[in-house]
Amino acid sequence: MFDLPNISVPVGAFLIVYGAYMMFYVLYSLFNVYHLLRYGVYGFGLYLLVTIFTGGTIILVAGSTFLLMGYDWAHPISLDNTVEYYNEDLFPAL
Amino acid sequence: MMRLDHLPNQRPDEHVVLFLRRQWFALLAIVFAFILLTAVPLLIGWYFWPTLEGLLAQNVFGPLLVILGSIYFLSIWLFAFLEFTDFYLDTWIITNERIINIEQEGLFNRTASELDLAAVQDTTAEIRGILQTVFTYGQVYVQTAGEKGRFHFKNIDNPERVKEIVTKLVEEDKRRVSALGAGGKGKVKSVIK
Repeated sequence: MFDLPNISVPVGAFLIVYGAYMMFYVLYSLFNVYHLLRYGVYGFGLYLLVTIFTGGTIILVAGSTFLLMGYDWAHPISLDNTVEYYNEDLFPAL
Repeated sequence: MMRLDHLPNQRPDEHVVLFLRRQWFALLAIVFAFILLTAVPLLIGWYFWPTLEGLLAQNVFGPLLVILGSIYFLSIWLFAFLEFTDFYLDTWIITNERIINIEQEGLFNRTASELDLAAVQDTTAEIRGILQTVFTYGQVYVQTAGEKGRFHFKNIDNPERVKEIVTKLVEEDKRRVSALGAGGKGKVKSVIK
């Protein structure tokens, strides 16, 4: 019908989205921790809270990193492959 | 960081009588939402594991799923922490001279106000419903004489006891203030004791 240029994007492009989210996460977390330390009542509980949150974050990020390390980030996502799913029955007029 | 032994604008001879937060029951909603939002996708993943395993092994869908999963669980963790911070920073401090009301609304709004005990006109404790009756928590409203409205201690533990303490402190403070008007500071101290 018509040809699309063979454009491909590496799977690593997903990491840009992930990186942007992580920046948001870190900023928000730091702001929240600052709030706690600035306005919270001094005591052991306050430090325990910050430690639990930081610990949970480290576990989640470490787990994700461990899972993500096994993939081939250079693998291309080809635009040609997406056209393979095109079904002419859907748009018979084209 | 706030210290209870060194309050903002602390007056001489002022000491903390009560330090209040919402009762632990208020935390249950956060804990329940956190468990539900964490457990449901994990259970779905466990139930459809053969399909999921196949998708995770793919070169494109695999990393996409892991990244989406990571974003999802990090968001829940952050959301739970934000909600907990909101709970943790909502506090009411009752001293022998004033009431300090600190309310955190979301992450970017914070209200701190204080009220002299001598200005308190009326204190009301309110326990409504089965849950509040069983777990003995509820509201305390402290009404002032002026236009400032009233302080609302939300979902605190044992509101009736708090009301009694506030009423007693108000009476003591009013006596102290009237004595201050009648005599000197030395006399006031003896009245307090």
